[in-house]
Amino acid sequence: MLKQIFKYTIISVIFSFFVGSCTKDVDFDQINDFEIYPVLESSLVHLDEPASRFYIDGYEVAVIQDSVSIDVFNNQFAIDNLIKAELVLEMTNSINRGLDVQVDFFDAANQLRHAFTVSVAPSPNNEEIVSQHTEVFEGNSLIALKQTTKLILTLRTRSGSPINEGTPGRIGLKSKGVFYLKIDNSI
Amino acid sequence: MRKVIWLLLCITGLTFSQNKQVLYGFSEIPQALMLNPGGEIKNDWYFGIPLLSHIHTSVGISGSTVYDVFADDGVDFNTKLRNAIYSMRSNDFFSANQQLEIFSGGFAYGTSYNKNKYISFGMYQEFDFITYFPKDYAILAYEGNQNNINRRFNAGHASGSAEVISVLHVGFNKKVNRTFSFGVRGKIYSNILNLTTTKNKGYFVTEYGENNFYNHIFNLDLELRTSGLASLTDDDTDSEAVAKALKKRALFGGDLGLGFDIGFSHKLSKQWTVDGSLLDIGFISHSKDVENYKIAGNYAFEGANPIFPETGSGQTAEEYWSEIEDEFETLFTVDTTANKYITWRPIKLNASLNYAFGEKRSEECNCLKEDVGYLNAVGLQLYAIKRPKQPQMALTAYYYRRLFKGLRAKATYTVDSYSFSNIGFGLSAHIGAVNFYLMADNFLQYKNVYDAQSVSLQLGFNYIFNKNED
Repeated sequence: MLKQIFKYTIISVIFSFFVGSCTKDVDFDQINDFEIYPVLESSLVHLDEPASRFYIDGYEVAVIQDSVSIDVFNNQFAIDNLIKAELVLEMTNSINRGLDVQVDFFDAANQLRHAFTVSVAPSPNNEEIVSQHTEVFEGNSLIALKQTTKLILTLRTRSGSPINEGTPGRIGLKSKGVFYLKIDNSI
Repeated sequence: MRKVIWLLLCITGLTFSQNKQVLYGFSEIPQALMLNPGGEIKNDWYFGIPLLSHIHTSVGISGSTVYDVFADDGVDFNTKLRNAIYSMRSNDFFSANQQLEIFSGGFAYGTSYNKNKYISFGMYQEFDFITYFPKDYAILAYEGNQNNINRRFNAGHASGSAEVISVLHVGFNKKVNRTFSFGVRGKIYSNILNLTTTKNKGYFVTEYGENNFYNHIFNLDLELRTSGLASLTDDDTDSEAVAKALKKRALFGGDLGLGFDIGFSHKLSKQWTVDGSLLDIGFISHSKDVENYKIAGNYAFEGANPIFPETGSGQTAEEYWSEIEDEFETLFTVDTTANKYITWRPIKLNASLNYAFGEKRSEECNCLKEDVGYLNAVGLQLYAIKRPKQPQMALTAYYYRRLFKGLRAKATYTVDSYSFSNIGFGLSAHIGAVNFYLMADNFLQYKNVYDAQSVSLQLGFNYIFNKNED
């Protein structure tokens, strides 16, 4: 008799396990709340040149300029997900002349959308003078950035004592971009 | 994104690790022979009810569960997601396995008084999937590199494989004497679909630079190999053609492979038995419909010097920039090849030590019945499977009991990669010649399936002719 009860008990326990599975409340719609905010930093342009680079073929060159085509800012991923950007420029000058770096942002129609200038003071005793600038892109400037297809970089020496082959000192530039992204369920 | 998550959930919901700890050694069920070809056999002949003789599904996840992330508990979803990402390790995995027996059968032969040899055969379809948690990719996507300067993001964290195959097999079992039997099973594998990315290497790191703020170093060697996929995803392939192609491959018209299983069982004494098996020692050669994707290269990027590019080279800034673009493109361009490759099947090891006790006594005379064996058995089972990163192991303790004439039950307690609290149960009923069995594990987690780390289920119907009806 006891044996029988034992058997039936085992069977009923086993069956109750098979039918007794259940779930607690889960809400898969929470996937709609999915949001991540990665922050990417990337080196951009840099240079480190002696003062004599401004002395070409016996003449002092006051302005050096070049343009760069760029399609990083206006690709669809950036347009959809970039919520803020910063461009950080750091200039190091040991030349006894003041220097400006101007950055111009042009769109596909070659219209100037944004510009800024970073300056560094002359260094009379050729010690390194560091000047840092952070250009923040939010709101309208962010929209301008997302339409940018070309950058023009202009390096300009300010007036002062003339530069020749023997002028001491160097000019250095470091730059990085800080990109704040918001990625959500719309991807 | 939503689709991917739903797909994962569907697999989790519909199917319930490859470890069939309840079935192993359950010699009344013919399919136990698939786990040890040298195991004990208790029937004279049998056939499986087509498509219903063995249905097996299992899903396992180590680390966070579905419930951890999707619980309706008022906690912000992104907080739960964050906790899951940070708590999981790169060796955590999600795996799923499903098998469906198409047909199977077996019969004993030999001298009429001693049928000590047994042939079994059949065909089954198998789906096997494993993916590891790509931790460093997840952290990079979640945080970006700003707070991770000097951190090497390991590109090898992307690892996984998926395969759908059909298997035709014939097994031979011989009872050498009263104490020792052995068996071997030959298998022909037919590939239906295979995706493998298990040998990825390399890293990405952002270091403080010399010439600029940062030096970004890419060192990548990534490859995804596919077989049977390219022809199905061609633009001009319709669903009818896909169905036709899959059918052809299932019936051994695609890439083939060979393998075998071996096993033994040895009675140490009247009550003690030891047995063991190695399954799926084999490979599949992929050559017919192969498409492999590879990204490989090294590149260090410190930014560009557009105003004074290459001293004296006469290179314009545009040329300079396009050179940088080219470098990136070369690095990230996916090379597509059709090089044939070989995949090894996930080899499995089973071993057990068993002790039977409680001789069956006749109710009429309180004497021992002849040759009926024992009512109870306890034992320890070891299971291991080779996986891309490292083997997964499980240790099981079990209790087996004959309940009625035609009813057998087995309860198991298993410690494995998923949990330390896996309780499993199985029943095998024999009504006349019809056998039905049902087994599942992880019962403690059935109170909330979404919080389960692994669930597995096997069931099936057979028609069995027993040699010693007791």
